[in-house]
Amino acid sequence: MRAPALRPRHRDAPEQGTEFAPIAEVARNEAPRATIDPDRSLTWLRRALPVMKAHKGIFLTSLVLSFAGLVLMVQIPNLLQQAIGNSITHHTVPLSHYVWWIVGLGLAGGVMGYIARLFLMETAYDIEYDLRNIIYEHLTRMSFSFYDRVQSGQLISRANSDIRSVQMYMTFAPLILVQCSMAVVAFIFMLSISVPLAFVAMATMPFVYVTGVKMRKSMFPVSWIIQARLAEVATVVDENVNGVRVVKSFAAEQQQLRALSGAAERVQWGYIKDADLRARFTPVVQNLPQLGLALVLLFGGYMVIHGQLGIGAILAFNAYLLMLQAPFMMLGMLIMMGQRAAASADRIYEILDEQPTVTDSPDAVDLVGSSGDVRFSHVDFAYDTEAEHLVLADFDLHIAPGETVALVGRTGAGKSTVGRLLTRFYDVKHGSVQIDGHDVRDLTLASLRANVGVVLDEPFLFSVSVRDNIAYGKPSAGFEEVEAAARAAGAHEFISHLADGYDTVVGERGYTLSGGQRQRIAIARTLLANPPVMVLDDATSAIDVQVEQKIHASLRLQMEGRTTLIIAHRLSTISLADRVVLLDRQKVVADGTHAELLASTPLYAEVLAQAAEFERQADGDTDPDDDGSGSGGEDGHQLRDLLGSVRGGAR
Amino acid sequence: MSWGGGMAGGFGGAPGGFGRPAAPGLPFAGIPSELQDGVDRLLASEPEHPEPDIEFQQNGSEAELRRLTLWRLLTKYPRMLALAGLLVVVISIAAQTGPKLTEIAINDGMYPHKDFAVVAAMAAAYVVFIVITSLAQRFQVQVTGRLAAWVMNDLRVKVFAHLQRLSLGFFTEEKAGVVMSRMTSDIENLQQLLQDGLSQLAIQALTMVVITVILFATNIALATITVLLIVPALVLASLWFKRASERGYDRVRDGIANVLADLSESLHGVRIVTAHNRQRHNVIHHRNVVGDYRDANNYTAHVNAVYGPGTQLLGVLSQAVLLAVGGGMVLDHTLSIGALVAFFLYLNRFFQPIQLLVQQYNTYQQGQASVDKLRDLIDTTPTVVEAADAIVLPPIDGEIVFDRLSFGYDPGLLVIEDVNLTVAPGETVAFVGATGAGKSTLAKLVTRFYDPTEGRVLIDGHDLRSVTMLSLRRQLGVVPQEPFLFAGTIGDNIAFARPEASEGEIREAVDRVGLTELVERMPGGLDTVVHERGQTLSSGERQLIALARAFLAHPRVLVLDEATSNLDLQSETKIETALDALLENRTAILIAHRLSTAMRADRIVVVDRGHVVEVGPHDELVAAGGLYAAMYTTWVSQSDGSEAAAAAPRH
Repeated sequence: MRAPALRPRHRDAPEQGTEFAPIAEVARNEAPRATIDPDRSLTWLRRALPVMKAHKGIFLTSLVLSFAGLVLMVQIPNLLQQAIGNSITHHTVPLSHYVWWIVGLGLAGGVMGYIARLFLMETAYDIEYDLRNIIYEHLTRMSFSFYDRVQSGQLISRANSDIRSVQMYMTFAPLILVQCSMAVVAFIFMLSISVPLAFVAMATMPFVYVTGVKMRKSMFPVSWIIQARLAEVATVVDENVNGVRVVKSFAAEQQQLRALSGAAERVQWGYIKDADLRARFTPVVQNLPQLGLALVLLFGGYMVIHGQLGIGAILAFNAYLLMLQAPFMMLGMLIMMGQRAAASADRIYEILDEQPTVTDSPDAVDLVGSSGDVRFSHVDFAYDTEAEHLVLADFDLHIAPGETVALVGRTGAGKSTVGRLLTRFYDVKHGSVQIDGHDVRDLTLASLRANVGVVLDEPFLFSVSVRDNIAYGKPSAGFEEVEAAARAAGAHEFISHLADGYDTVVGERGYTLSGGQRQRIAIARTLLANPPVMVLDDATSAIDVQVEQKIHASLRLQMEGRTTLIIAHRLSTISLADRVVLLDRQKVVADGTHAELLASTPLYAEVLAQAAEFERQADGDTDPDDDGSGSGGEDGHQLRDLLGSVRGGAR
Repeated sequence: MSWGGGMAGGFGGAPGGFGRPAAPGLPFAGIPSELQDGVDRLLASEPEHPEPDIEFQQNGSEAELRRLTLWRLLTKYPRMLALAGLLVVVISIAAQTGPKLTEIAINDGMYPHKDFAVVAAMAAAYVVFIVITSLAQRFQVQVTGRLAAWVMNDLRVKVFAHLQRLSLGFFTEEKAGVVMSRMTSDIENLQQLLQDGLSQLAIQALTMVVITVILFATNIALATITVLLIVPALVLASLWFKRASERGYDRVRDGIANVLADLSESLHGVRIVTAHNRQRHNVIHHRNVVGDYRDANNYTAHVNAVYGPGTQLLGVLSQAVLLAVGGGMVLDHTLSIGALVAFFLYLNRFFQPIQLLVQQYNTYQQGQASVDKLRDLIDTTPTVVEAADAIVLPPIDGEIVFDRLSFGYDPGLLVIEDVNLTVAPGETVAFVGATGAGKSTLAKLVTRFYDPTEGRVLIDGHDLRSVTMLSLRRQLGVVPQEPFLFAGTIGDNIAFARPEASEGEIREAVDRVGLTELVERMPGGLDTVVHERGQTLSSGERQLIALARAFLAHPRVLVLDEATSNLDLQSETKIETALDALLENRTAILIAHRLSTAMRADRIVVVDRGHVVEVGPHDELVAAGGLYAAMYTTWVSQSDGSEAAAAAPRH
């Protein structure tokens, strides 16, 4: 499978295992029309070419029409010039002739301009649509190992500003080139009126360009300094807001105000520098073309007096110079945009060139109605590719259908890893993980995950209603099902007390849930899918002991007939299991009932004691709502990106 | 890239004070190499900024609390403002002389009179006016740039000072992101408006006036026709454009916010997405979200495509009319050719200001919106205010009395009801109770983060509301649950409450709380910069720094809010020692989640649903067989005795 991520999917053929991943939303929009060329040896623009080609119809139409429209506009000053010469000074042609021509050209140019501009922008937004979806779809295919090492803040920033700068360049570069080509046409018209005057008029234009380039060059460092200093201000404010308790407790307001005042003063210096630099360049760039007009008046006037030129020519040259001004300024901008776009494209390709490590094998089969027989045999596993730090080595474990097994071990012993291998979030290095005798690598991922439900240690909720959160894995579920799952997870009671009950949107102001409540919703989410095999990875750690006791009865009922792997620290949770497996130094060191292990293995008691300590942390855990729910809006995102404080994909 | 950030930051960065954060860790951070030289050169020219000497006032002065308006901010610098106004007038007039000079040159120098001296004189005058315009523009950019920088600086300090005054309740209710955006994007929004927007707005408006006056002075009839023809049409078109594009950009803003929120959630919840087989569903959803965003963009594209070519068409049509009418007048000898040419030239210049005015008006409105938001913030009054006749709290012994104390965050919903309690000087009291029982709230009332709804809190017989905040908080120390570290060195963080503390004092604090080992391990010792809020340190180490900070503050009363709950066993022992040092001779309130902490106290206060239900030493309460005894029993059985044995009461 060469570069599958960058290849279009077979749009017509149903995908493997699709029936396990239901879709409840109506697709209102088509798939992206093309993908980035996977050949890494090409330049960035060439790699993006397929995406541009996918929209070539409206794109080329727009370019052709804008060129045609501009050519029409270029005629108008010339017509005015002729009108003044032929109709007003010499009376050879009736004035109305030119008037109607101008009206006609204006109308035609207007219509063309409308279509050209509309199509061009639509191309831009279509390309943006494609790029965003290409990246998103690529990201959904990536494996856990990718998310372990990449910070989501970086991904978001790449997916946002970088797409923008690539899209801008890809669509506006051709437009600017069209406008520049119009400058050539305008220059030709000027030449046709008077060769020497055309050169006189153009004399200042190269300086406009040169000054523009020089201006940007000297402005860049100062704007960089300003950005960095604005970030400093933001840091002081951010610390002040988040550390407000400390600031107030120690009455450090004065000190903080001075810190901010200092930072603000440094910003102020930056802006004054910026103003001084702009003051040096802007008047020059703006007034050089005006100087051209003065020169036209002088030389043109001389030529008019000597009968070499009509008065209308002075008017025409004025108009042409105004037309030329913009392209010359934009040409410099184009170069700058190009550099920025190239850097952005590199960052985007860096993501797209990453390949998922866990994928469906070509001859994968669907796992249907698993009996829940789970077997790990001789499993070696390491998170890093060099396989130096094995987390599991020659790990063996068999869980019979319907059995509930608790996995116990020190922090970092690899307990969660066992669960992650069962759901094939990662692939084993050696050995195999089997369900009903099938190696998980021979099964389709969708069917495997539909049969193996997992409640992860991070009770992440999405900012949709509680109901939609519970039905996350089965969007088609009816309300009765959702409620039943919530009851089983001991969540029904507190949900009923929320302002809008099951329709309460999580993450909105005032509706942030506690860690324990989140965990109960997460459990309900997995229970709703009713998987034959279930993994509870530290799934009740933040639930009050009293509440946990209450939901044990229903959990026990849920585990009946279901193969369940419990990863837990708490004694009370462990008590749900038929069997306890103690994990240490990469393998199973003891296996039996709680009482047996307590009697036979001193390590077991030690681990439990450590766990009792560890468990207390759960309540003080950082609130995932801070950056998890995405309800902070655009400002929040930008800010966090700015501060680099977006939490990474910490496992 | 390492998993979850880890030690990637590393140590040994250059030491820096508060407000000088290390470069954030995003890929776009560090200085791009091609800018390095320019940045260095600029920074070399930066003078040493004097230490800010601003004083923090707990109660804002009258001037500070006056209604915030742009005008008020600007009129603080009346001379600069007047100078800017003068330059704006000069620019508006000087820049519009060109066509008039061309008219004179044509009429008196080319047709019907031929006189090159006139042409040359007019061309020279043209150049002179261009130079005047350029110089005026140059000064204007410098003047308005400075004005903007000063006003922005004032605004930052003013808003931040007010934030410092606001009570803790404000920060709990308001999302941190919202507060941040007031201090960052809302203020930054004004930059463009102040440095350029307002002056441009004035220049464009004046330009229109100037041109209108010149046109009427040249030929009243033609001027009337021209102005009547263009102005209403262009104003109507521009107003339509403004409304339509505002509507469009609202949609675009919502669209991109949704796209980013969806992306951000998908990334943060990627493990849940994978576990629940939601990828296909999410891909469809993302396509719909991005599709909506694209449609919103396409709407603005349509608006722009109508307006741009539309006004262009309007321009062409008015040229045609001018040619027909004006040309006719020339033929009737009621208008000179030069005047006609001038009319054409001014016509072009008429369009620009109207379009720019509309654009600038948008900037102006955005700026106004920001000012409104900032005004709301400034108008928010702190709920905890210093009394006008507040006295400086003399050095206290540390007796705390809750006198018939009731409190509710929402006054109708009391969370503390009629609490009476006296804590003797030097006594250590632990508050225990279920989550939400009100124990943290009691502590917040002691530090006066909130004021009681009823009753009083007395320290050494002084009602907290009768003393100044500074004198109160200088004698209190709070160690919050989540230790907050500021950007800066370890030393800075420890000396947070007393920046003037000597190195010897800091070292003493380090020794007493058992941080010596950590400090010695760090490459820069106390000067080691803490990166990313101390994420590179363990939570135990961070907590020790927070304790050292409290130690150095020498508070008479100490409040520990579950300060030891987040620790592993090893750090726990260290903290015990640190606590012993810290609690010596101090009145202390421990808010305890774990009973092992509570047992250290002289007395335990059991809080239940806002009431104090039991008070007494550990042994007494256990013997009494009340709520505490029940909690203790659950806890002992829960932790299987292992922890209880390790944490026997110390007396």
